[in-house]
Amino acid sequence: MRVVVAEDLFLLRDGLTRLLAAHDFEIAAAVDTAPRLLTALLEHRPDVAVVDVRLPPSFADDGLQAALAARRQVPGLPVLLLSQYVEQLYAREMLADQAGAVGYLLKDRVFNDDQFVDAIRTVARGGTVMDPDVVAKLLGRRSRDEPITRLTARELEVLELMAEGRSNAAIAQRLYVSEKAVGKHTSSIFIKLGLAQSEDDNRRVLAVLAYLNA
Amino acid sequence: MWLVLKMLWKSLARILRKLGWGALLVPVAAMGIALFGLHLWTAAAVVLALILWVWRPAAAAALVPVTMVAAGIAGLAVASAAPQWQGGWAARTLSVSVTGKGSLYVISPQQQVKAAQAQWVALLPGAPPPVSISALPAGPAKVCLPPGAAKGFPPPGPALGSPPPGPALGSPPPGPAQVFVGPPGALHPVPLNKVFARGPCKPVGWVVIAQRGPRFVPPGWWDGRVLVPLALILLTLGLWLAPRTMVGVVDRAATLVQRLRQHMRENRWGVLLVPVTLFGLTVFGVRPWTVAMVIAAVIVAVKWPKVAADLVPVTLAAFALYGFEIASKWQATPWFATPAAFANPQQYGAVLVDSRQTALLAGAEASVLLALGAWLVPRTIGAHLRTMFSPEPDGGLAGQVQRLTESRGHVINAATTELRRIERDLHDGAQARLVALGMSLRAVERMLPASPQAALALVAEARETSLRALSDLRSLVRGIYPPVLADRGLGHAIQALALDTPMPTELDISLPGRPPAPVESACYFAVAEALANAVKHSGARRVHVRVEHAKGMLRIEVTDDGVGGADLTRGTGLSGIERRLGTFDGILAVSSPPGGPTMIVMEVPCALSSQKTSSS
Repeated sequence: MRVVVAEDLFLLRDGLTRLLAAHDFEIAAAVDTAPRLLTALLEHRPDVAVVDVRLPPSFADDGLQAALAARRQVPGLPVLLLSQYVEQLYAREMLADQAGAVGYLLKDRVFNDDQFVDAIRTVARGGTVMDPDVVAKLLGRRSRDEPITRLTARELEVLELMAEGRSNAAIAQRLYVSEKAVGKHTSSIFIKLGLAQSEDDNRRVLAVLAYLNA
Repeated sequence: MWLVLKMLWKSLARILRKLGWGALLVPVAAMGIALFGLHLWTAAAVVLALILWVWRPAAAAALVPVTMVAAGIAGLAVASAAPQWQGGWAARTLSVSVTGKGSLYVISPQQQVKAAQAQWVALLPGAPPPVSISALPAGPAKVCLPPGAAKGFPPPGPALGSPPPGPALGSPPPGPAQVFVGPPGALHPVPLNKVFARGPCKPVGWVVIAQRGPRFVPPGWWDGRVLVPLALILLTLGLWLAPRTMVGVVDRAATLVQRLRQHMRENRWGVLLVPVTLFGLTVFGVRPWTVAMVIAAVIVAVKWPKVAADLVPVTLAAFALYGFEIASKWQATPWFATPAAFANPQQYGAVLVDSRQTALLAGAEASVLLALGAWLVPRTIGAHLRTMFSPEPDGGLAGQVQRLTESRGHVINAATTELRRIERDLHDGAQARLVALGMSLRAVERMLPASPQAALALVAEARETSLRALSDLRSLVRGIYPPVLADRGLGHAIQALALDTPMPTELDISLPGRPPAPVESACYFAVAEALANAVKHSGARRVHVRVEHAKGMLRIEVTDDGVGGADLTRGTGLSGIERRLGTFDGILAVSSPPGGPTMIVMEVPCALSSQKTSSS
């Protein structure tokens, strides 16, 4: 799987490429600025890009802007953004095109390399991965919302994991329940939130995120 | 009365502020029409003034005092040059016409000229006429004058007096105006109302109606009573306006003015009292009381500089009024004689007043004095009154200094407190965790050869610790300077805040640029605090945030539909915001009646940088 890495700090860039190489990723390019990132994305068309939100030249959200620009030219180009902090505002901007194949994680998540690599693969497959912090914030905003308060504690847990981008199987594994039980919970959630049911994991995640984001 | 004047002045000032000083150029130019009549060049001056005001308002503004001063001087010049007495005669020139077959003859002591060829004839109402006109042949000839030509002269009537003996030469009788009709040799007087018939006539020449007498013929209402006062007012206004509108010129002379100002600030305006009283010496001569005045001025200027400063404009105004009084004598005096009014030539400043011209010059000098006095009023009396009547911290420089000192104190305190908090957070948080991390890693080093399994557990623990350290640092950074604010500016940062607020938050943000970073940060935390309050205390269902920038003022409103009762004096949150905004001369106002709604308004004066915030 070919991957482009964008990170301005040498130590982190080096660490990331090593980690990805160790997990059998092919590093198409490792760049340190937003303009180079945009060039690399358009030139290499990687299977997935791992991008730091804050990049030179202005050290603002240049990485995000470059990724969004690339996705405007290549719709659905899989991008996983990494950041020292997460903002709902940025998550919203990435999800706006409804194309999926995006991820938004705290840099800390790199520490758990198995989960991190899983997330990259999910995004590469066209899935959506949101950091638990983002999801917690989305739910926090909705905490006074009528439909959400009607969810049971377990359903809320399932909703959170679903919003993070996990499949039914992954949720089942995480919560130590059967996949069937998870399926029951998800359909209950969809009914309570008034969302259209969908068998496709990816579209399901997008529907949930769209609901929480609304 | 005073109130009405004040309101008038205020509305006038508002209009002027809106239109700019340059707008004054148009009415000033229009005065040219009033002064010189409607000509092509006076009309053109008005049009030019209009164009200049529209295209180059600054240049128009600079020209206003120049034209005012020029118009004032021109008015004075016109007044001083206008012949009010011509050889002792008040004269009007009229066109005269005749109908019928007759010719009009002019008979003067010197010659008899046919009026059709004559340049002038003279009718002398109310006085012995040295000349007369006659129409030939005697009979139905009519002499026509324009309507109102005989106005101001004794009315013609039946009492014409006795006819002159023979031709109207020699010593004619006293009495009202007469016209003699008849062949030269057999002229007989005809009442004016009979001769001066109406109706279309053929112009044949001009008649100068003149009158000589003991009484002074006043000049017209316009040039006699209005011209000179108007000229003096214009001169005064122009000189007073000059420093306001001629900014460019003032800029050029800035160094000189600066030095003068510095000097004046150090020595106070009171010093001026001495030269001003010395001026009085020139006006009233060296007398015991004038010398005493100068000595008193020196004493007052040294001992009570403030009182001396206040006296300067008052004295100047008094001298100016006296100067105007001198100038008013211009009218009462024929130019060809040294009249009684100027029998004792008088010194007024640099001018020796001994004629009409020098009287007007003295008036101009008085204008300069009055303008200087008026300019000094807000710097002396006005300033003292202000400090006297507004001792509260809001007014004056002293108040501002006090406020700045206070806010600087707050800033230093706040910054120190903030630094301590950061230090403590780092010490107890990230630093402690990094120490723990190092210890764990050291333990792993030792354990690894002996019991790899236990070492593995320790490594997991170490990783957990590093995660916590990162999390600590993240929240610390957020409290110092939120990354989204650094990345995107205030608008987006407030958007992000709204997204993190667990309550429907409506936004109405219109910011064409970015405020300075410190203002942005203060406003961000202010909005964050206001939103947090709304969530915690108000019980509101929704909250509205409105951000706009207009006229150099950033205005933020946070309104919720909660229960109200928020109080600036209770709790530290809002007053903390107020102090922080106060650093930038910003203000915070809270309107929160019991029962709601609560509205928090923040206003900070600041400019926006042109940099656009990126679109979301």
